[in-house]
Amino acid sequence: MIAGAQPNGPANAALRSLLPVLAVLVLIALVPLLSPSNRFLSLAISAGINVIALYGLSVLFGQTGILSMGHAALVGVGAYTAAILSRDYGIGFWLALPAAALASAVFAMIVGIPSLRVGGHHFVIMTFAFGQLLAIVLTNGGDYTGAATGLDLTGPVTLFGADMSDLTRYYLMVVAFVAAAAVASWAIINSPYGRTLRAIRENERLAASLGINVGRHKIGAFVVSGVFAGISGVLLAHFLGHISPTQFASFPSIYLALMVMIGGARLISGPLAGGILVAFLPEVLNLDPVQSRIVYGACLIAVILLLPEGLIAGAVQAFRRLLARKPKQEREDPDTTCTTPSEARR
Amino acid sequence: MSPILEIRGLSKQFGGVTALSGVDLAIEEGEILGVVGPNGSGKTTLFNVVTGVHKPSGGSVSFRGHDITGLAPHAISRAGIGYTFQQAMAFAGLCVLENVQIAGEHVRVNAGAGQPWSTPQALLDFVGLAALADERAGVLPFGSLRLLGLALALATQPALLLLDEPAAGLNDRETAALVGLVRQLPGHGITVCVIDHDMKLMQMLCRRLAVLDFGSKIADGPTGAVLADPKVLEVYLGGDL
Amino acid sequence: MRAVDIFIQQILNGLSIASVITLIAVGVTLIFGLTGIINFAHGEFLMIGGIVTWLAVSAGLSFPLAAVLAILAVGLMGYGLERGIFRFTLERPTNGFIVSLGLIVVLQHVVVLFWNPNQKSIPRPLTTVWEVGGVRIASVRVMVILITIAVVALSFRMITASRYGRALRASVEDRDTAALMGIPVRRYITGVFVLGSALAGLGGALLIALFPITPFTGGTMVMKGFAVALIGGLGNIYGAVAAGLILGIVEGFSAGYGFSQWTDAYSFVLMILVLLFRPHGLFGGTSGPRMAS
Repeated sequence: MIAGAQPNGPANAALRSLLPVLAVLVLIALVPLLSPSNRFLSLAISAGINVIALYGLSVLFGQTGILSMGHAALVGVGAYTAAILSRDYGIGFWLALPAAALASAVFAMIVGIPSLRVGGHHFVIMTFAFGQLLAIVLTNGGDYTGAATGLDLTGPVTLFGADMSDLTRYYLMVVAFVAAAAVASWAIINSPYGRTLRAIRENERLAASLGINVGRHKIGAFVVSGVFAGISGVLLAHFLGHISPTQFASFPSIYLALMVMIGGARLISGPLAGGILVAFLPEVLNLDPVQSRIVYGACLIAVILLLPEGLIAGAVQAFRRLLARKPKQEREDPDTTCTTPSEARR
Repeated sequence: MSPILEIRGLSKQFGGVTALSGVDLAIEEGEILGVVGPNGSGKTTLFNVVTGVHKPSGGSVSFRGHDITGLAPHAISRAGIGYTFQQAMAFAGLCVLENVQIAGEHVRVNAGAGQPWSTPQALLDFVGLAALADERAGVLPFGSLRLLGLALALATQPALLLLDEPAAGLNDRETAALVGLVRQLPGHGITVCVIDHDMKLMQMLCRRLAVLDFGSKIADGPTGAVLADPKVLEVYLGGDL
Repeated sequence: MRAVDIFIQQILNGLSIASVITLIAVGVTLIFGLTGIINFAHGEFLMIGGIVTWLAVSAGLSFPLAAVLAILAVGLMGYGLERGIFRFTLERPTNGFIVSLGLIVVLQHVVVLFWNPNQKSIPRPLTTVWEVGGVRIASVRVMVILITIAVVALSFRMITASRYGRALRASVEDRDTAALMGIPVRRYITGVFVLGSALAGLGGALLIALFPITPFTGGTMVMKGFAVALIGGLGNIYGAVAAGLILGIVEGFSAGYGFSQWTDAYSFVLMILVLLFRPHGLFGGTSGPRMAS
């Protein structure tokens, strides 16, 4: 009943996991046709910028099993790189992208090498400490980092001569970046590299016995997550026009971790779902920021205790069980089917 | 012919406790060697030191003439030494096929050119798990899990395979299947070293035995002769013999 | 003031802050070392201890009574959270950690919701300032230091000397065997969690006696608590106390000699360095109870 259950082969099966995400993104890109409010667009842009960072976190946590409480710090390195390049050298958005990606990746490596050496649960605390340290350094950086008030960015973002600073255009550009991030993360998950990372997540000792250099690949995953975060930081800096240290301390990192876990870190649709849910839930339920944070926190606790694979996976499982209640019950039992390719497929 | 693995004067202390003291052992190309000893005799420490989990306190290990003492576990595997664990046999959350794919992707030295399993599927066929390729490893019965563990080690294309208690927890039928597979390995160019205290298994598998007791080697030779050795009998008195 | 007076002054100031941090660190180290739970919301437990003290004092109660209330309230909260949430994560410590992140967010904002995000302070419970030589010693700081010493010594005795403590350590070594020997392991885990929480409640009361607090005070404090616990070696109460002392003195000096903006950085830098060179802490610790994997 199981062997040969995928007549289209693994490549097509993998592709099928990406298509729903891209389809949703196409729909999201059509939203400006409904002439939404500026408030909606701003909220959506912020959500999209988070989602890009979340795709990096999903590679790190979902695939490799490394929990980082310093992801916002990596976003911050990207944002400050963009701001400083723009101020000191007049370098604009597009050139800042690779520079910030590189800066965040390097910072991830600098943080990752000592932190991963420590290993285990201490790692999480190390990343948290590095995040706090970065905020302290930025706050004490004097004029260079703008101290506690932060830095302003001037100068428009242009693409082929068109001014992208207009909200609708920036919105479309962020959607395109989210799509690219989703495709990149999907490509990693479905590559031999992704398999290697999952092996490390499942059992480091066994992975090492099969010739996998566990330490190097863990640092590698951390660096990859840094690239996503750096790009997210550039988009954030140019969108807000002003950045400050507290945006990138440890608590923003907690919110990023919370988003990816609510959506489901192992699925390609998880970061998108988590980012959108957390951004728009307060709007839908008409909650003020304080109430909505209480709801997020409670959601996170409930998700971890009740649906450890995230909301989307939980919903999909419940839906499948409902569909196949009688005839195919056995096959849909999540405990007996192979979850791995479907991880990438859902 | 020079031995494929040569252990010279290997020692290991944990704090003040001596787990291995000056063990010499040579594994000859193409044999199935058994390393036996009662619990606490240093078998597992020997395995852990050779596979790079622990750094030795003294002595050396060389593989095909190259010094591999103190290399990291992944480097040992890449050099051409495969090994299986008693406990962690497979990646429980991944499917059987993906398990074997991963195992084959980090090979550096193509040591076993004569090995008949060029694809993950062929390897699963060899160990008899082809029908379970799409199952999650975590749901396999214990016997199948042991075979999958063997398949993972084989996928690294080793020239030497170290098996740590490969039959622990298996019933007689499963043990017989495992023995059947392991016996075929020298024919495919893979030297085998089995570490276990189960004498019945050792008698089925090995023509040569080395016996450890309190961290030292007390006997080494043809299985029959070793089992007749009074020193060995004393160690195992009332034990498995 | 003479240089030596300033020196002594800063040591005293540093030690009183270090006392509060040590109380957190001892709680963290007990809970992690004996139960394997990494509770990052421990700082929020402290903050809530401070808020309870503030509410009680504002309602006209004396400080000692308010502090006792804070200990009881936070201990009770710890009991509820352990029974209601953390016990479901005992086999998967990562999940426990993530849950504690959710708790941080919830607890902070529940406090904001009811009592707004502004600073809260109480009048100093002891106002006397002694002049010894050229050194001004605020009695409230001495009180904080003395209470901490007494409470930590008591906890230490409880863990090491009593029958209860021996059984506890047996369950750290091997949970399953301890359970087979008839030790009620689950109940002990709850007990340790409640004890750690109560220490945080006391820490909160002492903190608000020294400084104003906000609903977000817990974040930095818990990081320092974890830093001290890790520097001392997780599970090692002696280590936590020694590391707390070191940190307090370093922070006191730094503030006294004009580097106050870097004060919060020392604990992190110290922790990172210690973990790099001595992963089990300066004084050695456990890596937590052994889990069935």
